[in-house]
This record gives sequence, C-alpha cells and structure tokens, in this order.
Amino acid sequence: MTEINLNYSQESGHLSLQVLNAFVDGEVWADAGTEIQKHLEDCHACTLRALSVTRLKAATARGAARFATSPEALARLSAQLRTQVAEEHSSAAKQIGRVVRFPARSASSVGAWSALAAAILLAFCFAAWQSFRQANRLTSELLDQHLATLAGSAEPQVISTDKHTVKPWFQGRIPFSFNLPEPDALPPDTMLRGADLVYVEGHPTALLLFTIHKHQVSMFVAQRNSEFAVTPRSTHAGFTLRSATTNELRLTAVSDVNPTELEALVQAVLKVQ
Amino acid sequence: MPPSHTSASFEELALPLLPALFSHAMWLCRNHAEAEDLVQETVSKALRGFDSFEPGSNFKAWIFRVLRNNFLTSRTGIAAARTVFLEDHPGVADSSDLRPTPEEHLIRLDNQAAVNEALDKLAAPFREILLLCDVEEMKYKDIAAVLDVPIGTVMSRIARARRALQQLLQPQFRESL
Repeated sequence: MTEINLNYSQESGHLSLQVLNAFVDGEVWADAGTEIQKHLEDCHACTLRALSVTRLKAATARGAARFATSPEALARLSAQLRTQVAEEHSSAAKQIGRVVRFPARSASSVGAWSALAAAILLAFCFAAWQSFRQANRLTSELLDQHLATLAGSAEPQVISTDKHTVKPWFQGRIPFSFNLPEPDALPPDTMLRGADLVYVEGHPTALLLFTIHKHQVSMFVAQRNSEFAVTPRSTHAGFTLRSATTNELRLTAVSDVNPTELEALVQAVLKVQ
Repeated sequence: MPPSHTSASFEELALPLLPALFSHAMWLCRNHAEAEDLVQETVSKALRGFDSFEPGSNFKAWIFRVLRNNFLTSRTGIAAARTVFLEDHPGVADSSDLRPTPEEHLIRLDNQAAVNEALDKLAAPFREILLLCDVEEMKYKDIAAVLDVPIGTVMSRIARARRALQQLLQPQFRESL
C-alpha cells in the first residue's frame, strides 16, 4: 500500500471515482478504508459502482491472458537471457585475466613484429575462448533441460515406449528427421520412455527420454551446427554428457548413469542414423 | 559489480518475469515478432544497466520501466507516445461525471469477448495502466515508477481508464437488454 493522501471526498453524496478505484485496488490506508466501508454500507449506488469496478478489474485481468507467451517463445527468451548472463560472467572473467598490454605506438620494427605476433596469438586465444564459451553455454543449457526433465514439472508431450509413436510425432515440428533403434537393438535394460520438443540455443531439438536401469537419460537430437559443439565426453555437476555427430545431426545424451552405458546408448542411436 | 548485483542474481530475478514482460510487450507492440524483440532488447539493456537497480526496490517495476522506455524509443512506440492526456497537465480538474449510470450499476461482464474488444479499443495509455494495475497487480507507487508520473496521475488515470472501458462496454450492454 502506498502512502497516498486520498483527499477523501463525498461530492454529490457519493465517493469520487478516484477514491472508489483506489479502494477497489487496495490502495487506501486502514482509516480511510473504514470510512469508505461505512459509506458503502449506507450508499447503495456507491456499492454497485464499487462492485462494477471490481468486476471490470477481474475482466481486464482475464482479457489480458490471451497474450500468454508460447512455450517456444518463452524457451527462446529464457535461452537468450541465460546466454547473456553467461556472456556477462565471461566478460568479467576476461577483464580480470587480461594481462597483455600493447603499446599505443611501437618505435622499433622489433616492437611492431612483437605486437603483431601478440595480436595473432590474442586473436587465436580469443577464437579458442569463444569456442569454449559457446560449448560451455550449450552444455549448461542441456544440463538445465535435463534437470527440468528430472524435476518432472511438466509431463513430456509424448509418453510412449514405441518408436513408431515417438518418431512420427516430430513430423512437422522439427526441420529434420532421425531414426530410432528397435528395442532389441538398445543396450541391456535400456528403454525409450517418451519425447518432447525443446529449444536449445533457440533451435528446435528433439528430446528423447530413455531409462537405463533406474537412471533417466535425456538425449537431444538437433541439426548439426558447426557453430556449436559439445565436448564429446565431459562431466558436469555429477552428470555425464556424451556427444556424437553424423553429417546432419548432433546427438547429445545427459545422465548420471555409468558413462560406459551412456556411451552404448549413444552408439546404438548413432548406428541407425 | 557488488555481490548483490551479480549477473546470476539478475537471472534469478528476470527469468520468472519473462512471461509477464512478453505479455505486456504484446499489448504494446501488437506483433509477436516485435514483442519478442522488445523483450530481448529489454533483458539485454537491463542486464547492462543492472548496476543502477537499487537493491530492495521493486525489480519488476524497474524492468517494466526499461521495457517501456525501450518501446517508446522504437518506431511503433514513438507513434504511440503522441497521445496527450489532459490529467497529466497540472491545473486541469477532473471533470468526469460522478453520477452513477444505470449501466454502471448493472454492467454485466460475463461476455469476455466484448471486454476484449473494449480493451482493444481503449486508448493505449489507458490500456497500459490497467494492465499494470489489474494484470501485473502492481501497486500505484510502482506504476508511478514504471510510467514516470506522479502517484496522483496514476490514480486519476486509472479512474479515467476504467470509466472509458465501462463506456466502451455500454453499447454491448444495451444490446443484451
């Protein structure tokens, strides 16, 4: 509640529009509220107007719901926010780590050549750092998606162990196609559980959900993009990431299962592409 | 950046507000792509200017203000900002008729389509203030911060906006009699 002097008025024997609206919006102090309440008990007209304002307020709130964010737009915006935050972190770290200083002008040719060599080295390091940063960003995003799956906050859109149900579901939803192995071609005690459509780095990605024993596995299947690549084998926060590529696709599996078993699943899926 | 102003805390504060920012941007831009661009630009600018956010103050009001300022500097926003409101000028009294009308007494709002249509027809600044108040459930002082106007203006504009919305709904009401 704000400290507003309501200048409570009863012109024409009725509450003013401003007072009435502030009352409905819960913006009046207790004293004024009691006074208004007392007036409403005796004034049928003002009570009806207050009721009308309350209804209008609720209807406005309902009407605004039609511009709710689509899951796709929300995923893109969230990814962009996380990316920018990660860049901000990296930028701060880069400033701390900056040790090379170039003189504004080099007097000797030796100095000029040294500066040029340093510049080339810096450019090379920067390119490597960019690549590392993008890989890290992608890894974080894949981990986030996997954790969201584990949290079970939203059911996957396809719940099926049948590859003939899961694969066709993606038709028209993603701009590429992929194959799934037959159940007997999967490693022991490994089962397809379902699938979902997610956006990774803003790109539509098929999220295949498997279980190996009781461990959940998220396998992300996306179009291969030379800009972004996950390290083929890495471990982050206790989760193992295994990545493989074909000419067209990039497969990345995330799980806390034994890395060897995760690798076996990746290879089984890779084999049928 | 001080510890309380890390980019991680920005993410924590901004992420839950994305749906609200997008919805508000949609109302401002009326175009999905433009709204998404506006939110992306807002997040980007807000992150860069996060140092200026006062810890303990209302982050939602702060980032909505960034969104609004971004919108107003956009091509669509410049056109929308040309509307001038009488109550924003000191010395102009609130001349609205305080007498209750029968429609106001009995107005029925079960026809949501009619309400939506009326919201569409409402002048942009009226619609904007009602969205901040009724949808985002912001307090008057936060709305004042978002719109950069005194609280008194917020109060009078909300009253006028609801009055205008009721008037837009009256023809529909008469038809339903």
